[in-house]
Amino acid sequence: MRSETTAAITVDQLSKHYYLRGHAQELKTALLSLPAMLFNRRGRQEFWALQDISFSMKRGEFLGIAGPNGSGKSTLLRVIAGISTPTSGTVTVSGRISTLLELGAGFHPRMNGRENALVNAVLLGLSLDEAREALPSIIEFSELGDFIEQPLRTYSSGMAVRLGFAVAVHVRPEILVIDEVLAVGDAEFQSKCFGHLERLRQDGVTVIIASHDLPSIQRYTDRAMLLDHGRIVLEGPPANVLHEYLTRIFGPGEKAEVKG
Amino acid sequence: MLGCSTERKLRLQIVSILPAGRAWELLYLLTLRDFKLRYQDTALGLLWSLLKPLALGAVLFVALRFFVRIQVDDYHLVLLTALFPWIWFQTAVLLSTPIFASNGPLLKMVAFPRYVLPFATILNNGIHFLLAIPILVILLLVSGQHPNATWLIGIPLLASLQLALLMGVILLIASVDVFFRDLEHLVEVVLTMMFYSTPILYPLDQVPDSWRPVLLINPMTSLIEAWRDLLMSNTLPGLDLWPALVFTLGALIVGFEVFRRLEPEFADAL
Repeated sequence: MRSETTAAITVDQLSKHYYLRGHAQELKTALLSLPAMLFNRRGRQEFWALQDISFSMKRGEFLGIAGPNGSGKSTLLRVIAGISTPTSGTVTVSGRISTLLELGAGFHPRMNGRENALVNAVLLGLSLDEAREALPSIIEFSELGDFIEQPLRTYSSGMAVRLGFAVAVHVRPEILVIDEVLAVGDAEFQSKCFGHLERLRQDGVTVIIASHDLPSIQRYTDRAMLLDHGRIVLEGPPANVLHEYLTRIFGPGEKAEVKG
Repeated sequence: MLGCSTERKLRLQIVSILPAGRAWELLYLLTLRDFKLRYQDTALGLLWSLLKPLALGAVLFVALRFFVRIQVDDYHLVLLTALFPWIWFQTAVLLSTPIFASNGPLLKMVAFPRYVLPFATILNNGIHFLLAIPILVILLLVSGQHPNATWLIGIPLLASLQLALLMGVILLIASVDVFFRDLEHLVEVVLTMMFYSTPILYPLDQVPDSWRPVLLINPMTSLIEAWRDLLMSNTLPGLDLWPALVFTLGALIVGFEVFRRLEPEFADAL
């Protein structure tokens, strides 16, 4: 399965549009739109979140996605993870995929860290036995100590993301999809996370991360992609892509700072 | 143009990625979690699952037996043997209707078999119903009636039917509720109407002949009557159950089909 020749992720001419729904959903419009939603999708206002995205990733590759807010980063990750469906085009994913799209998605505030970690691990793709087996290691990685027995509502957002990250990397994915979540942790935990991603990558795990943390993208990823208005603007070595990104934002004057 | 085939391809991929049986393990974990959470931090805990239906039963009994003076033998048993399964139905529907709509962050961020969410709620309420049955046994024994072995067949049979009925109905309404939140309020109204138009407060044979076909349109009528026959007179359900069976089959087909069509849109709509 883990052959070097097959791509881990192939995205081919992927486009995705959302239908904008009016805020004042009147009874009549709501009832009339329901059959349309069930049987066809015409007659509603569209918004293209992704347009004609094509790229592929080799096994063990580490891809960083940069781009301004609303450029389609999260949508792309969600479609790759199979949570959202493309409007046209195809996404082919081979291997067990795990996601870290939002800190503690699925965590329950009234359950303790241990119980949440177990449920979360199974939600993300482990079997119950595997999850039970991984639990001690997850708890150790999260560095939560005695807090692991406390309900999640007592956690700071940084603590919740530590637990979330600890679970996500222990799902032993072949492909790991991460949205901008690591920013919440403190600097030490962030560097530990990136260090761990680096080790996963060496083990052949394919990692795709969307982040505003440009220095980390430059330092850790093999390749970067710049998204804007749902299109790939630039793709290539991280340094070039990030340079272009910052040039677009600040103008050509800031070159030196990025390269350093 | 490619939309449909893409969806199907992606779905197949997701299914093949999931280890077999993970949906069941997830169902187990979520049911267990809901079960633990319901009475967590309460002093009386599980006792509430007995106290709540009994309190409702007691006040209905006093009002109907002594004030309205309904003429039915063993009225407290007639009432409670129907009220307990009804409360399972009602609570499960009320709690599950918004289950997709209110779990937006989870549905948007994690790929997992989504039907386990309502399924866990239905199961959890079913467990609370089963745990309340010993109270019925005590009341039956006090009235000089004895449950027998028919219960061992009858209870799993009727519980499975009610489970399937709930699953079909809830997949339909919980899926539509994502796009049409009025449904939550509509469901409340319909449940209240059903409470009085299902033979819970009265046995079906008290209903005038001309009204009976009207009541039988309601699938819960034959199911509740079957529960009462089983629990009060140890009678196994027979052909009288057909309206509930037909409705369950229809609800399952329609519910799964609507869920299958709407589910890909959940993440975008929430």
